[in-house]
Amino acid sequence: MKKTLALIAALVAAPVSLMAQDFSQGSQAKSWNLYGEVPAIFDAKVVDILCELTGDCPDNCGDGNRQLGLVRTDDDVLIFPNKNSQTGFQGASADLLPHCASTIGVDGMLIEDPDIGAQNIYLLQLIRPAGSDEWIKANTWSKRWAEKHPEAAGKGPWFRRDPRVKAEIEREGYFGLGLEEDKAIKAIVFE
Amino acid sequence: MKSLLLSTFVACGALMSPAFAAEGERISVKGEIIDTWCYFSGVMGGPDAVIGSAHHTCALWCSAGGIPVGLLAEDGTVYMVMKIEDSSDSASGDTQLRLASHVIEADGMLYKRDGLNYLVVEEVVTDLDIQVRNAEDFGTVPPFAIPKADR
Repeated sequence: MKKTLALIAALVAAPVSLMAQDFSQGSQAKSWNLYGEVPAIFDAKVVDILCELTGDCPDNCGDGNRQLGLVRTDDDVLIFPNKNSQTGFQGASADLLPHCASTIGVDGMLIEDPDIGAQNIYLLQLIRPAGSDEWIKANTWSKRWAEKHPEAAGKGPWFRRDPRVKAEIEREGYFGLGLEEDKAIKAIVFE
Repeated sequence: MKSLLLSTFVACGALMSPAFAAEGERISVKGEIIDTWCYFSGVMGGPDAVIGSAHHTCALWCSAGGIPVGLLAEDGTVYMVMKIEDSSDSASGDTQLRLASHVIEADGMLYKRDGLNYLVVEEVVTDLDIQVRNAEDFGTVPPFAIPKADR
């Protein structure tokens, strides 16, 4: 009886102990001085998150149009890479797409802030492709953007030249409230 | 006793299985379409500064840049938006970009997994445009959002 109860207790406790696992050992991730950042290096399978959740699974993880996730090998936890290693405003899907359905090594920062619901959010910095010992930087988004938008080539950061962003700002202003209100707010903010 | 052990094992297995975690639930929810990286990381400031009109230009940049959009509900819950109506282009899609900073009322399916809420929006019932007018309080977030020539 005692043995059986101990086994039941161990089974119930198993997910809790897995959640508490430390993935920081051996990480080379650089701090971004973010509240709630914790270095995390682990192996994971690259998945199309919508496919993982709902069974809606197009070829090649959605060909770069969908958010990609990381199912961690050690505990099957789905990690959501929100950001790649470039400074600026780029997600991580472009860096993960070449590794769709493969198990890779990743290194970066987990963002954990329970007060605002951040759990298993990831800043992806480095990737070790399947079968390789080399770590590569997760920094390919801007290159992909430039290939996709040759008409927007020029000086300055991509987000000042992006045709869709420019069109939205031309239509609704920087504050998104219409051009007249934009002018009025600018007068207050920059007076 | 064997049957108790077996049923406990099955129950624990079900709790840990991805299929259980990904079971959907129909919901209606109202909230702002936000840029989840700025919200979760705090890189641009606190939660009140990275929503609404103050942060709109940055929300456009992040959405265009493939950073996942979320829906910030009135009770503070964040839903990671995986699909909006016919568009499953959750990485830099046109629909996500067009709705940046807008408050919407949405019907859809909620999937919970590993501490995050994932939302598949089946219908945008109402698009209320930008509701949080906080630019007068915070200016532009980040401060360089508007080029000097356009100020």
